Amino acid sequence: MGGKELTHVKLDRATTCALIDLLYRLGDDSLLIGHRNSEWTGLGPILEEDIAFSSMAQDKMGHALAYYNMLHELGEGDPDAIAYRRDAAAFRCCTLVTMECFDDDSPGDDDESLCNNPLRDDLVRRGDWALSLVRQYLFSGADAIRAAEMASSSYEPLKHFARKIRGEVKYHTMHDRAMMERLARATDESSRRLQFAVNKLFSHALGMFEPTDFDAALAEAGICPTEAQLGHQWRGQVEAFIDPIGLTLPDATKSTIGGRRGRSDPHLQALLDELQKVHRLDSAATW
Amino acid sequence: MTDTQWPIWEVFHQSSRGEAHVHVGAIHAPDSETALVLAKEQFARRQACVSIWVVPEGAIAATAYEDADIFDHGTDKSYREAFGYETTRRARAVGDRGEA
Repeated sequence: MGGKELTHVKLDRATTCALIDLLYRLGDDSLLIGHRNSEWTGLGPILEEDIAFSSMAQDKMGHALAYYNMLHELGEGDPDAIAYRRDAAAFRCCTLVTMECFDDDSPGDDDESLCNNPLRDDLVRRGDWALSLVRQYLFSGADAIRAAEMASSSYEPLKHFARKIRGEVKYHTMHDRAMMERLARATDESSRRLQFAVNKLFSHALGMFEPTDFDAALAEAGICPTEAQLGHQWRGQVEAFIDPIGLTLPDATKSTIGGRRGRSDPHLQALLDELQKVHRLDSAATW
Repeated sequence: MTDTQWPIWEVFHQSSRGEAHVHVGAIHAPDSETALVLAKEQFARRQACVSIWVVPEGAIAATAYEDADIFDHGTDKSYREAFGYETTRRARAVGDRGEA
């Protein structure tokens, strides 16, 4: 955003629409990556890493709640309605955050004693930790760039929130980089798995920065930079990090888009069926 | 059977600058940077924290409990204690309310 810092944004109708779209994108990404990462709780490869990953998932859930509260203040539904009562077509998350992390090459054990929760059993049998870790790394770098830019947003609630979460998001990138570095250099198997994950996820990661009809309006109003600008920063950071650790980015990748317009990953509805199940059983219940 | 666990690191946590780092537990990690990253979520996710130390467990030398008797005082050593100076009472008597 350069030196263009506006202290107050004029919230006319067009700017409000642009802001609402942004908040849905930020909130939906946060909710869904938080949910995906929380699926590993109790199943992570190392106890301490399981705890750290689950804790970071909670951080993202907290971010989602904050964005949804901002939406509510702008006239959208309350956070519960936004999180639990929309169907897949109404979500504006990128496809990266909803992808399932299974090792398609693994036949998986057909262990009858695992018949507990079928989704969880699936993850136990053929979950691919490298996919989740690399997805988290690709996402957190973008998250940190967005938070840094929004710290000078002309929309006060966003500016304050971005400043508040700076430390949390910094930790996520510290964790992700530390794990990526070590696994990339550890063994042939670990570097192969990471490279496979990078190859599979990269086009979806580029989709985090899918251009929207609101980019220009948001940048004009000083709310946040365009997706192209953010994506450019992110790409530079990823390239600088990936190469020294012996991994490569796929060339000439087209980004996987559509998520920001509600044409998301086919797995999203299945994810929502799980995430929204309890609330939809009795939305008036108190806990 | 070979031990496939990562080495153990003892974790010390400081709630605010100036306070002592307090031992809060131990974690497994392959190296010090990872130990710091993982310790943050094991031991600083609830309470306030500004700093974490991690120390390889092998770097800590400790007295044996069977030698705990070396800390006993054979004779009266109460002269080492600081009671009896009555500084607070005497300061108040001349009007010092203890305000900075």
